[in-house]
Amino acid sequence: MTQKELHNQRLLREAERAVIRMQTRRHFIKESAMGLGALALGSMFGSCTNSPVQQSGVTFDPAHPLLPKLPQFAAKAKSVIYLHMAGAPSQLELFDYKPELMKMDGQDCPQSLLQGKKFAFIRGVPKMLGPQAKFAQHGESRTWVSENMPHLASIVDELSFLKAVTTDQFNHAPAQLMVHTGSARLGRPSLGSWTTYGLGTENQNLPGFVVLTSGGKNPDAGKSVWGSGFLPSVYQGVQCRSEGDPVLFIKDPEGMSRDLRKASIDAINEVNAEEYKSYNDPEILSRISQYEMAYNMQIAAPEVMDISNEPDYIHEMYGSKPGKGSFANNVLLARKLVEKGVRFVQLFDWGWDSHGTDASLAIDLGFINKCRSVDKCITALILDLKQRGLLEETLVVWGGEFGRTPMAENREGKPNPYKGRDHHTEAFTMWMAGAGIKKGFTYGETDEIGYSAISGKVEPFDIQATILNQLGFDHEKLTYEFQGRPFRLTDTRGKVITDILS
Amino acid sequence: MILLSVIEFFGHLHPLLVHLPLGILLIALMLQWMSRKNKYVALQPAVPLILLIGSVTAFASCITGYLLSISDDYDQSLVSWHMWMGIAVTLVSLILYAKEKNPAFAVNKKILSLGLLLLLMITGHLGGSLTHGSDYLIKPLQQIFSTDSMANTSIKPVANAQEAIVYSDIITPIFQTKCYSCHNANKQKGSLRMDEISLLMKGGKDGKVITPGNAGESELIKRLLLPTDDEHHMPPKEKPQLTENQVALLHWWITNNADTQKKAKELAQTDKIKSFLTALQAAPVLRNERTDIPVVAVARADEKLIDQLKGKSIIVLPVAQNINYLQANFVTDSLVDKSDLQLLVQLKPQLIWLKLANTNTIDETLTNIGQLTNLTRLDLSGTQITDKGLTQLTNLASLQYLNLAETKITIQGIQSLKKLGKLHTLYLFNTSLNSQDRLSLKKMFPATIIDTGGYNIPYLKEDTMLVKELIKK
Repeated sequence: MTQKELHNQRLLREAERAVIRMQTRRHFIKESAMGLGALALGSMFGSCTNSPVQQSGVTFDPAHPLLPKLPQFAAKAKSVIYLHMAGAPSQLELFDYKPELMKMDGQDCPQSLLQGKKFAFIRGVPKMLGPQAKFAQHGESRTWVSENMPHLASIVDELSFLKAVTTDQFNHAPAQLMVHTGSARLGRPSLGSWTTYGLGTENQNLPGFVVLTSGGKNPDAGKSVWGSGFLPSVYQGVQCRSEGDPVLFIKDPEGMSRDLRKASIDAINEVNAEEYKSYNDPEILSRISQYEMAYNMQIAAPEVMDISNEPDYIHEMYGSKPGKGSFANNVLLARKLVEKGVRFVQLFDWGWDSHGTDASLAIDLGFINKCRSVDKCITALILDLKQRGLLEETLVVWGGEFGRTPMAENREGKPNPYKGRDHHTEAFTMWMAGAGIKKGFTYGETDEIGYSAISGKVEPFDIQATILNQLGFDHEKLTYEFQGRPFRLTDTRGKVITDILS
Repeated sequence: MILLSVIEFFGHLHPLLVHLPLGILLIALMLQWMSRKNKYVALQPAVPLILLIGSVTAFASCITGYLLSISDDYDQSLVSWHMWMGIAVTLVSLILYAKEKNPAFAVNKKILSLGLLLLLMITGHLGGSLTHGSDYLIKPLQQIFSTDSMANTSIKPVANAQEAIVYSDIITPIFQTKCYSCHNANKQKGSLRMDEISLLMKGGKDGKVITPGNAGESELIKRLLLPTDDEHHMPPKEKPQLTENQVALLHWWITNNADTQKKAKELAQTDKIKSFLTALQAAPVLRNERTDIPVVAVARADEKLIDQLKGKSIIVLPVAQNINYLQANFVTDSLVDKSDLQLLVQLKPQLIWLKLANTNTIDETLTNIGQLTNLTRLDLSGTQITDKGLTQLTNLASLQYLNLAETKITIQGIQSLKKLGKLHTLYLFNTSLNSQDRLSLKKMFPATIIDTGGYNIPYLKEDTMLVKELIKK
């Protein structure tokens, strides 16, 4: 290279540097002007909008969506076990004692109760149907419980009954959606999803929201009752099974060792991390954390989901049998999951739709069998949580999606072959226990035949608001921005039922 | 009207401007003092200029301050003191400037400088008292000497609401907690002072606020009931609001002629009012009294410590938003090691809830746990601890919840917990206690709920019987 060439090269390089210097300075000034402007604008507009993130106090961290988060105020409940009797059990054969209805048994239903009302199956003038069970008062609280739940009757002093729950949906699917998502239509996040969105979960090796079903069928509203709606999908309920593998495909395929699994998950995560670098899509971070959790779950989930290592006296208490799918097994599992730091355990038990169309759906046959299948294990759950010191921090909720009519069902105007009751929206019973709920208390009252609520009327929104309240959230402030407005579980309604809070 | 708004606008610049002379004059004094040393003599020429700037900003502060004082309602004597002191600051700084410029000027520079420093401090303090209240500065210190630190912000329960004198025992506490901060001897927003009944009855600049016997016509009630966003709503949106019960009680009091002498039982009561009155009594508050979160606030914990623990998949986080007290939980990672414990001990002031259930916790671990004296909830269920370890816990005087279920402890070990005076619930399920032990435990802990578990659910033949089969037969 000649002297001249070398010189030219140097000049070129110097010019280049000068250009870069110029550019960077200009660039800097331009950028900072923009930046300052944006900052100023941001702070000016900041006070105008109600940012949902600020409002709800919940920040969504896509890389760690399930890490535990702070409640808005100190919470009574750390976990929730929600026992849903899908199909809607009859309050008139369980908790709402109506001797007056007995006197009307077999008479035609008065027109005043039918005018302007809609029923799912009742047509024309049905006959009244007296209580098909004997009642007695139990406990210090003198709570009425029927003979159908003899075990639960022994622990009424632990429970708070809501006797005047109402809803506005008389078909199973919309009513179930109403109870669990706050809307009769599809697309809203479920109670458990809102909970894990707001609070995350404590055990990072297990899902935060577990769903267990029994009774042979999923609830009529399908999986959307534990869906995440518009919330990030990581908050949806994970359906587990008490029979076989707890989660489908949780075992490594044959021939794949744990090391190989780890290596392949690492490789996938690396690729995902590269993707994230170029696209910055937070869902990719969620995906990475989900892979890691799934890997941990492969060990942790089968361990906690295995009820066979529980001592015999516990199985006797619950009436559970390892290896079978049953509500009792699910209830025992619920306790184990809560003990391991799972945030929300949702149980559905199908088969409570006592229309009287066949023996299994008769109020004096199948219904009693259903009662017997849940009575002992639910009682065991409350007592077991209590003796382990967990009832203080676990909220247990029991109920269906609506109630049943004081009239006997007459499908297509003809009496049904067995004794049964139609869907009823105007009054039904639910109960709650644990985590700051009053013990041995009854709230709300129905009229003398149990047709409608006359005091202490609550609707699903109120129950949702109360559950969130016990978890440390103001239901009006746990929101998520979607389609241009902040959404919340209770939407525009809901009032915490302070009367049942201790 | 426009003039008034302009005055108010310039008045509101006062809090902004007022800090300039404070800082600038302090700098001037500092430089002046430093330049006495040979090393810093070069600073001397800057002093007069800074003094001049300082006195100009002080002048601006005086003007805006005056405008503020006429557009808002403050305690007159405090304001006039603040004003004259402010003017003095301006004058003294100007004189000091003159002295710096012309050393022949016949004043003592040292005395003048010292005087300026003093004046600055006094004026600043008076200004602070005007905005934040006269006890603002020493309030935190008062808490050291008084256990009753919440006295100003929360209402104490009354023993018997029906026997209480309505005005002094029921109404005054509401005013005290929600109104006095702006309508008191020192500060009278809207020229209204509420801390004396005669002045309250007199009303503010818009006239009377209470029409005895007619609550609906009373400005006080009207303003309470306006939507929070309304600019006339009281208390202002950002201040603590009255509860529904409190508004109802005020309404009831005014309807009953805003009487100042009578007892609650002497005034007509609806069922609603009756229940609100009962709610004021000690009972419901007693229920809340047993809170497992200390009432006294605590400083924020060191984030680094928390992050270190989180890195070991131990869950450590505040018990709620805006509370610095912490909970810790080993539910994801059941192995507790030495370094974890050392980190936990460093969080001692904040840590109140600790869950070690089903971990490898042993007696030695409890030596460290015994140092966490703020713990109110401790869960040791399903661990390897024995009686020996329990003796380490005797210092946990705040403990309310202790879970020892499914451990090897015996009655001897539990005896050592007698000192824990606040213990509310003790879980002892599946420990080696016999029925004799249970009886003596009840005597040992008369005020504690002891749950020894082992609940039996009797076997009923119906449990497994299907009704359908019976019918078929």
